[in-house]
Amino acid sequence: MTETVGRPWVRADARAKVTGQAKFPGDFGMADMVHAKILFADRPHARVVSIDTSEAAQVEGVVAIFTAQDVPVNEYGLQTADQPVLCGPGSGKPGADVVRFVGDQVALVVADTRAAAEQARGLMEITYEDLPVVSDPFEALKPGAPQIHPGREASELHPELSTEGNFICHHQIRKGDMEAGWAQADVVVEGQYHTPGQEHAYLQPEAGLAYIDDEGRVAVVVAGQWAWEDQRQIAHALDIPVEEIRVIYPAIGGAFGGREDMSVQIVLALAAYRLQRPVKITWTREESIRGHCKRHPMWFRCKWGATREGELVAAEVQVVADGGAYCYTTNKVLGNTTITCTGPYAFPNAKVDVDGVYTNNPPSGAMRGFGAPQGIFAAEMQMNKLAEALGMDPVALRMRNLLQDEMPTTTGTPLAGGVHLQEVTERCALAAGWERAEEGWRKPAAKGVALAGRPKEAMRTGMGMAVGFKNVGFSFGYQENCWLRIELRGEDDIERAIVTIGTADVGQGAHTVLQQMAAEALQVSMERVSLEASDTGTSPGSSGSASASRTTFMAGNAIREAAALALDGWREGERPAVVEHTYLAPETTPLDPDTGEGFPNFAYGYVAQVVEVVVDVETGELRVRRVVCADDVGKAINPEQVEGQIEGGVVQAMGWVTCENFIAQAGRVLTPHLSTYLIPTIADVPERMETIIVEKPDPRGPWGARGMGEMPFLPLAPALLAAVHDATGVWIDEFPLTPERVLRSLRDGGSLLECDWE
Amino acid sequence: MKPFTYAAASSLEDVVGALDEGCRPLAGGTDLLGLMKTGIRGPERLVSLKSIEALEGVERREDGWRIGALTTLSELASPARGGEQRELEVLSRAAAESASPQLRNAATIGGNLLQWPRCWYFRNWLTRCWLKGGDRCLAAGGENRYHAILGAARCHMVHPSDPAVALAALDARVELRGVHGVRTLKIDAFFGEPKPLRENGTVVERDEVITAVVVPRPSRESRGVYVKLAERKVWDFALVSAAVQIEMTEGAVTDAAIVLGGVAAKPWHAFEAEGRLVGEALTGTAMEAAASAATAGAVSLSQNGYKIELAEGAVREALRRLQRTFGSESTGVG
Repeated sequence: MTETVGRPWVRADARAKVTGQAKFPGDFGMADMVHAKILFADRPHARVVSIDTSEAAQVEGVVAIFTAQDVPVNEYGLQTADQPVLCGPGSGKPGADVVRFVGDQVALVVADTRAAAEQARGLMEITYEDLPVVSDPFEALKPGAPQIHPGREASELHPELSTEGNFICHHQIRKGDMEAGWAQADVVVEGQYHTPGQEHAYLQPEAGLAYIDDEGRVAVVVAGQWAWEDQRQIAHALDIPVEEIRVIYPAIGGAFGGREDMSVQIVLALAAYRLQRPVKITWTREESIRGHCKRHPMWFRCKWGATREGELVAAEVQVVADGGAYCYTTNKVLGNTTITCTGPYAFPNAKVDVDGVYTNNPPSGAMRGFGAPQGIFAAEMQMNKLAEALGMDPVALRMRNLLQDEMPTTTGTPLAGGVHLQEVTERCALAAGWERAEEGWRKPAAKGVALAGRPKEAMRTGMGMAVGFKNVGFSFGYQENCWLRIELRGEDDIERAIVTIGTADVGQGAHTVLQQMAAEALQVSMERVSLEASDTGTSPGSSGSASASRTTFMAGNAIREAAALALDGWREGERPAVVEHTYLAPETTPLDPDTGEGFPNFAYGYVAQVVEVVVDVETGELRVRRVVCADDVGKAINPEQVEGQIEGGVVQAMGWVTCENFIAQAGRVLTPHLSTYLIPTIADVPERMETIIVEKPDPRGPWGARGMGEMPFLPLAPALLAAVHDATGVWIDEFPLTPERVLRSLRDGGSLLECDWE
Repeated sequence: MKPFTYAAASSLEDVVGALDEGCRPLAGGTDLLGLMKTGIRGPERLVSLKSIEALEGVERREDGWRIGALTTLSELASPARGGEQRELEVLSRAAAESASPQLRNAATIGGNLLQWPRCWYFRNWLTRCWLKGGDRCLAAGGENRYHAILGAARCHMVHPSDPAVALAALDARVELRGVHGVRTLKIDAFFGEPKPLRENGTVVERDEVITAVVVPRPSRESRGVYVKLAERKVWDFALVSAAVQIEMTEGAVTDAAIVLGGVAAKPWHAFEAEGRLVGEALTGTAMEAAASAATAGAVSLSQNGYKIELAEGAVREALRRLQRTFGSESTGVG
């Protein structure tokens, strides 16, 4: 009847957003509302000795001041509850009196006006006893280093979490026989790499409103990625039943992983619960940049070997990741790094060691790509260097080694859902100008350019390529699931289909895609489908997080299965026909702690990119002239949105590689404003952007769809650095590529990374 | 933010009479309000200058221009009158390459010259650097990739203004009005040494406001360019910039102003480079000599040595552009 899947439907939220009608968390207000301000620690490591609120409480309009002793269960965390809600004495939670990074929260000041709350916050008297700060993960692992979380207990749920020293977690892979591998290797390439942190820089800084709803529940209106999980953590900290907490997501101004972990949720709920009044908070941009997590900075040491003919025989990779002050999702992020740091290649022999480390830096957590961009960077740098060392074309070397169906990865099992790495690589290379001649692949010759009158000898052009892959969902043994409810109303025909689901639309257009899939599955028009989403008050089950490229896959399958059940009921005469259903993704396993063996994921997406750059060797400036991206999305449910995700992913990755530079000195953030933390503008984006949507269906994906939101981010960094090498002859093994770094690397003939690996 | 009162000024006399440590003038507010929000500044009273007509407008005179202090960067970026476009090219380019369109619409030339340093230790409300009364410059032993390579002593700030660099190349004067009357200072004298309570590096007294910038008319044979190098293509402060204004007579340079931005607490006149050019034709050799002389005396900290290379590159590029400008004019092209 209708064919809604595969068509570029205009986003359901587009009109409201462009006309200013859409309400974001900061847009909500209520009668009798009070305003809250958080007192941040502003110091990287200290014990809170005492808190004197007396002067602050005198400020006219102050309603309440909450500190650690007011939090019933003073701990939270997505993977492990290692972070105090409010740091300070008196909560009974061991270690909760210590602040571990500048964004730790010490008190919540609530007043009739924002000005009064701010003024009172300034009058809070906190006595700190500063503790030694460790901000370098290599230093943090040395004997005698300050301990960030002493006395941790082993986790049954997450055995990869460590209790030793400042180790957060460890993953490792032991595959084949390394000695035999090196014996076969004619060419060995060794490299060290560093990938920096990254700020999410979403448009909407953290904000929220908490109030007591009509049913007496504590309702929190906030932007997040996983309402059900927010609800669970709030209830835990407040020590009240989960049903008494309600989390509502209105329009969300971007997330990119930065809202996976919580910011204002618990303190807002606490204040509303205690005061029985609506409480509102809005963070400034500085508070946002200091207060939420960042992408994990990582250091890599790699040694790869290949035969003269270009067959990969052995890889040894060691990774150290700065996890910052709290675990957040470090263990999961590093699982992805573990399986991606040897690239999408079939290695018979591999040894991988990945450590997450606590420091006094802002916590590292989820961010688009979730550990894969870092792993893929190191892997693809190695691959491009290997191609150079072998005198082989980089496409030819990849085509020889890319994983295919049924080939075991380093975890000993094949990638699930059909492997199309060769397709994306081939499509991308051909579109970028590679020739497939009889003797093999041939890269197009570089063309000189004259730009804005700059002298030709200063302008070097280059082209580079890289390939990436990433899993869909968290998995690694976690049973991925998605709850939803479908209600079909009408008499003879279905007049209205109501889909209720917890899934967040974080700005990526998920709700439109869900509506499309529901219309398709129920064979009704788009107008007849209405979506009730992102409210734990209406969605008692977990629909999972809007992250890990999982939403389309998980919710799509849930819709497909539930729609079939609902239609069965409808045909049997149920009016309305109602189905509540949880889709369970195929089972996975954690990685074996000794060998890394396992079946960590049920689905993957594949991507290849070619980047063309011009490097001005006199000024160190870069210009990205062209990006070609081939992305296997299985099935583009909404091709226009897929293209938008690809372009957005490329631009965000360009920011990471070129101009974004998050700088903290001994744990103190020096770039808390968007005037020093530079995100790309429209003038910085690639001059040409060509997206190739490849549709090789995943047999278990809804309509064949794979996850795709993170994949376009993955290959950009190594492809861009390969292009810079092609242009200048110099390998730069770290970024961002500021003029300073480019000029220094050109002068030194490369990066001079020095890490204390012992 | 500390509470403050606000008033619109009735006259220039009243303003200068009212100004003191706690009472500060407000124009575009693009810098001051941000500093107040983060608590770096906390005036008790703000007096808006926006109501004073005498501070508005660009007046064209026989010998040059009088640019009212309230003239916005947008106005400078696109001068309405045709003739000015070429004569003030260096200034309009510098204004056009500053900040973002929204900021340029609000920011005034007076406020632009009075900007506070962007140094992240100065802007961080939690640190106490030498400029804020502490005992040492935190950049000297810290993160200093954006800091000064020329003329720094106790403090390593760089002045963030683009237009100031162009104004120095045009030999402009700043007109100040205070309780004791009017004084006019060359850009070089307007910027003194940064010191506590003089954090923006200027010699402006507490009771003084900038009333205008006076720019002498360049000769008919004079041309200028502005080259800005930054980490982002737009809306970024200069890592290094160069404003170069050159007069050519019968194929030889008869006057040259080479001023660097982003390298010192003030627009930095590269006198030695200027000396290398005067009397020479704009040949590759002469341009190279000038470029490499531009950073004479530079001293780098641990992370900012690249600015020496960038400064020389910026001067080289500016001279190349001027070579093309003069070349195309003499052959009647363009």
